[in-house]
Amino acid sequence: MTKWRVMTVDDSAAILTIIAAYLEDSEFEVIAAERDGIMAVERFAQERPDIVLLDLIMPGQSGVETLGRILAIDPDAFVVIVSSLGTEDAVHECLTSGARSFLQKPFTRDDFIDFMRDLTQVA
Amino acid sequence: MGSMFFGQYLLSKGAINREALIDAIERQRSTNLSLVELAVRDGCLEPQRAEGILTRYRTTDAGLKELCLEYGQIDREKLDELRRIQKSVWVRIGAALVASGHLTRDQIDEHLAAFYEVQHEASQRLEADFRACSDPETVKTFVELSVFYLKRFTNGPVKLQTLTEDGGALSSGRRRYAQKLVGDRELFCALDLPSQVATVVAQGFIGVPVEDDSEVAIDAVCECVNIIGGHACTRLEASGFRLRPEPPFSTEGDEPAGDLRSSTCARVMAGDDEVDVRVFV
Repeated sequence: MTKWRVMTVDDSAAILTIIAAYLEDSEFEVIAAERDGIMAVERFAQERPDIVLLDLIMPGQSGVETLGRILAIDPDAFVVIVSSLGTEDAVHECLTSGARSFLQKPFTRDDFIDFMRDLTQVA
Repeated sequence: MGSMFFGQYLLSKGAINREALIDAIERQRSTNLSLVELAVRDGCLEPQRAEGILTRYRTTDAGLKELCLEYGQIDREKLDELRRIQKSVWVRIGAALVASGHLTRDQIDEHLAAFYEVQHEASQRLEADFRACSDPETVKTFVELSVFYLKRFTNGPVKLQTLTEDGGALSSGRRRYAQKLVGDRELFCALDLPSQVATVVAQGFIGVPVEDDSEVAIDAVCECVNIIGGHACTRLEASGFRLRPEPPFSTEGDEPAGDLRSSTCARVMAGDDEVDVRVFV
């Protein structure tokens, strides 16, 4: 079975660890994990993952800026914002900036896998 | 005197010593089982599924009972039976002290009456202190969410004790995990934690053991603060506030104390340890 290639971007190593653990033994494979937006854009250009899970609040280049740069490389990139912030303003800004979906932290493994499987219906 | 646990109250009054309290808590631990533990012991819940329920409990705001019903494949009748068993064997701290021979039933009753009075006063004082602090709604939101998530991540008792305004200095032996919130105002939220509490929080959050003061532990607690800050912004949006968190950070210094007008400190008991929840405005 071909796995969905996922890139995770979060300044928190804890979140990257949790996501990698949640996706283990699933139909998703984490092919890249980056802790800042600038590196994430470079890595995206090299790897062209099927799905990008992108943190919103990061030092330096923010999630929305990173999203814009990824979409400039590939307007069809499938980017999902993962954030602890769930305000209407934040969700609206992300979706109108081109994110395909939004997931609020924290989440459980089951919820996360369900969310990812739902994404594959539209990705 | 602030809000506290009954055992802590007895200790502060000199009615028992620390050894007696530890003895009673250990007695409680051996008898007071959670619904999930009882279900596993009963054989109606597989350990792996139980682990999933506990993870969900730590990381969402759902109650244990509803999680058992939804994800435990336990029907309501069975759950009610487990609740009855749980109730019948549950030992409160006073009863544990009596059973261990540290206090008599009459002594417990006498102390309980005084304790309830003290707690009632403490709770009224806390409400008044919340109203009097410099940014009541923000402070209350952040403190309540911090208590909630500390409870979830430590999987233990957490209680708000006192609320004071102070200079915001970091007490020795602690590390500060903070986050700046910006928008229509600027403030900082912080948790000042001793390393043993930080380790428990980090482990509860990631789900695997971590070393004290390790980079992983610090990073995980920062992310917990990020979750609390993010949820505080989300909750405050309903009251018309527009706030956005910046990346969280950790420090062994006093920052951002001194740069802002006031610091509200909520002293919280997490198990045996005191932690400070701070809002700098």
